[in-house]
Amino acid sequence: MARSFAVVTDSTADLPGEWRKRYGIEVVPLKVLFGHETFRDGVDMTSDEFFTRLAASTSLPTTSAPSPGEFAEVYRRLAKDHDGCISIHIGAKLSATVEAARVGAESVAGFKVNVIDSQTVSMPMAFLCSVAAECASLEEATAAVEKRVPSCRVLALLDTLRYLEMGGRLSRAQAMIGTMLDLKPLLLVSENAEIKPVDRVRTRTRAIQRMIEFVRGEQPLERLAVMHAQAGDEAESIAKTLRPEFAGLEVPIGQIGCVLGTHTGPKALGLGYIKK
Amino acid sequence: MVAPAKATGVDGQIFKRALLGSLSWLAANHEEVNRLNVFPVPDGDTGTNMLLTLQSAVEDVKESNAAEVSKIAKLASHGSLMGARGNSGVILSQIFRGFARAVEGKSALTPAELAAAFEEAANAAYRAVNKPTEGTILTVAREAGRAAATAASTPDANVPRVIAAAAAGARSAVLKTPSQLQILRDAGVVDAGGFGLQLILEGMLKSVEESEPALAAMAETKRPVSPASQVSLDLPEGGWGYCTEFLIEGNGLDTDLIRGQIESLGNSVLVVGEPELVKVHVHTDDPTGVINLAGGYGKILKLNVGDMSTQHRRILESEGAAGKSRPPRPNGAGLAAVVAGRGLVEIFRGLGVDAIIEGGQTMNPSTQDMLTAIESVPYDEVILLPNNGNVIPAAKQVVGLTKKKVHVVDTHSVPQGVSAVVAFRPERSGLENLKAMKAEAERVQTIEVTHAVRDTRSNGVKVKKGDVIGLINDRLEFAGDDYPDVVKRALGRLGPDSYELVTVYRGEQASDDELARLESEIRSNYPRLEVEVQQGGQQHYPFILSVE
Repeated sequence: MARSFAVVTDSTADLPGEWRKRYGIEVVPLKVLFGHETFRDGVDMTSDEFFTRLAASTSLPTTSAPSPGEFAEVYRRLAKDHDGCISIHIGAKLSATVEAARVGAESVAGFKVNVIDSQTVSMPMAFLCSVAAECASLEEATAAVEKRVPSCRVLALLDTLRYLEMGGRLSRAQAMIGTMLDLKPLLLVSENAEIKPVDRVRTRTRAIQRMIEFVRGEQPLERLAVMHAQAGDEAESIAKTLRPEFAGLEVPIGQIGCVLGTHTGPKALGLGYIKK
Repeated sequence: MVAPAKATGVDGQIFKRALLGSLSWLAANHEEVNRLNVFPVPDGDTGTNMLLTLQSAVEDVKESNAAEVSKIAKLASHGSLMGARGNSGVILSQIFRGFARAVEGKSALTPAELAAAFEEAANAAYRAVNKPTEGTILTVAREAGRAAATAASTPDANVPRVIAAAAAGARSAVLKTPSQLQILRDAGVVDAGGFGLQLILEGMLKSVEESEPALAAMAETKRPVSPASQVSLDLPEGGWGYCTEFLIEGNGLDTDLIRGQIESLGNSVLVVGEPELVKVHVHTDDPTGVINLAGGYGKILKLNVGDMSTQHRRILESEGAAGKSRPPRPNGAGLAAVVAGRGLVEIFRGLGVDAIIEGGQTMNPSTQDMLTAIESVPYDEVILLPNNGNVIPAAKQVVGLTKKKVHVVDTHSVPQGVSAVVAFRPERSGLENLKAMKAEAERVQTIEVTHAVRDTRSNGVKVKKGDVIGLINDRLEFAGDDYPDVVKRALGRLGPDSYELVTVYRGEQASDDELARLESEIRSNYPRLEVEVQQGGQQHYPFILSVE
């Protein structure tokens, strides 16, 4: 292996399947719980299986961070053939994962783990991993990732706020959508994993237009991705619109996983990007 | 069967039994802990997370016959670390870790060593957290440790008493958590993680019950005052009622007697205190009755009556949800709207309108009414939405009558008003908002359905008194004899292919059956349109539809 350090992330990065191989990234799964049944995100349950089960389930699932011990196991395994590791995780404001990683790392003596609170979620995390993977040393990777953390954004369109609300991540009031009308909130996960409402609209078509308009105003971008939960066709058409405007960017499409999906619900769309 | 704890101190098997006791007690009560999770907690329910963490700790311990307490503690520490879930679970695992470190190399613990281990467990938990917050499981762990240490320093100290003291210390710390954390106070609950730790210590105490039943019972005496009974947020049958709380100051007050009487007037009753001062908490539909009853015993102090449906909503919506508690808007612009109908008023308020002027079609508000409302808005710039063509002229008059900068968006209908408010952004300037709101209001089509009040001919349509008539954007377009038919034709005229969403605002006169027929008519004729029904509660118009 050319790289002497390992790159670790968690399942909320929505890492496209082939990136694992392309960049050699280790993914630690968070868990989703339906009643007392636990599934490891992306391991025991795919995103598609999750949304099928969600649709049939009468009560909402809950999610849970990996345990410090699970992180420790991964680090211990990686310690065998790496000098160190960068471990990039979902924003501490959104999940206990990064804390678990820190505690887990502490218990593995003699192996350097740089735990990064990405302050974001989904594809921007995946981008940070790819940035790290292309660096020559752990120090260089850490610096390159830390430099980009404040520039990561996720613009999300939720079909309903129900899931985010039930998970306790955001209230309707915070999303400025009141209590009565079924409004589509456009939310921005900005610096420090702060969820800010940026717009509210009544119909999905208008909301998608607004998303595109919003990201145009965020130029110049270093990376850009489209994410979706069971809305592949719409994601594809958004990517098609954006690719010519952001020439030089790959604009990959990411699928929202089980744990993130628990909070976004089905039919969520997102744009994940890193500002230049 | 089992050697009494006080003879041998805490050895491995006694500690194992204590952990099993904790597990079964937490398992029996974890739903109560979950119910305390009324404010956002990352990664699921605290009770479940703690239970799963403890289960994982006990998993490894169960199979071990180790006689040394250090070995069992180490297994528990490792197991809890592996199974830790959620913030409370991670902290719990650190408590076990601290305990294990403190007892390293020991085969059995004296009461003093046990107390020291409890204290060290709390210290380890503090160290594990970046920014320790008081009023949480951390505080509870520390107070439990302190109480244990105090108990251990008495001459007749023994292990069950140290555990009993820790459990009692935890319990009293849990009850104090609302005074330490604003968020708990607002939600009217105690800290869930702290309560979970209390249960774990109580479970340990139950495991030594055989040797000291009296002490174990001590932990039980206060169960009726258990935090979850004060704070259950389940929706009771027949609504929420009012959360009524006060103190009674008097002489020789009998808490049991008062509790018995108040219990007949509500639920979640809590009556505690001393003969001179009693605290009462009750959820009741009749707060006046409760207060009158309590007033017979003494002086009522610190009376607080809260509407629980509002409270519940407020908790769910977090701070700043409604009215005065809304955070100030960065653009310094307020909103006022002319609306009639209970449901519509709520909708406009929910969308952020600061002042509502009651009125509309048949009840046009005066310029003065609007002026008064605008003066009540806590901003110097106000955007006013008349929401009716007949109100627009009076609304425009307001502009010159106040020092405030008033803008009128010419909304001719409720749907236009809703669209305009939806487009309002607190971070955009008043003028930018004005532009966006006008544009949005113009995008929406309005269908209004009512009955003709007289025979007439309008816009080429002949109508007889009592006919159902349909108006599109204020123009009479159709007459017929039933609502669904008129709505179907109106939607057909607009061209349903160019729209996505129909919102039906149901008026006061429309029956459930009429609503159901209207909905099914729209859905079957225009399957591509999404239909949303709102209780508008407006008079005169059985249905108002917004098409966009």
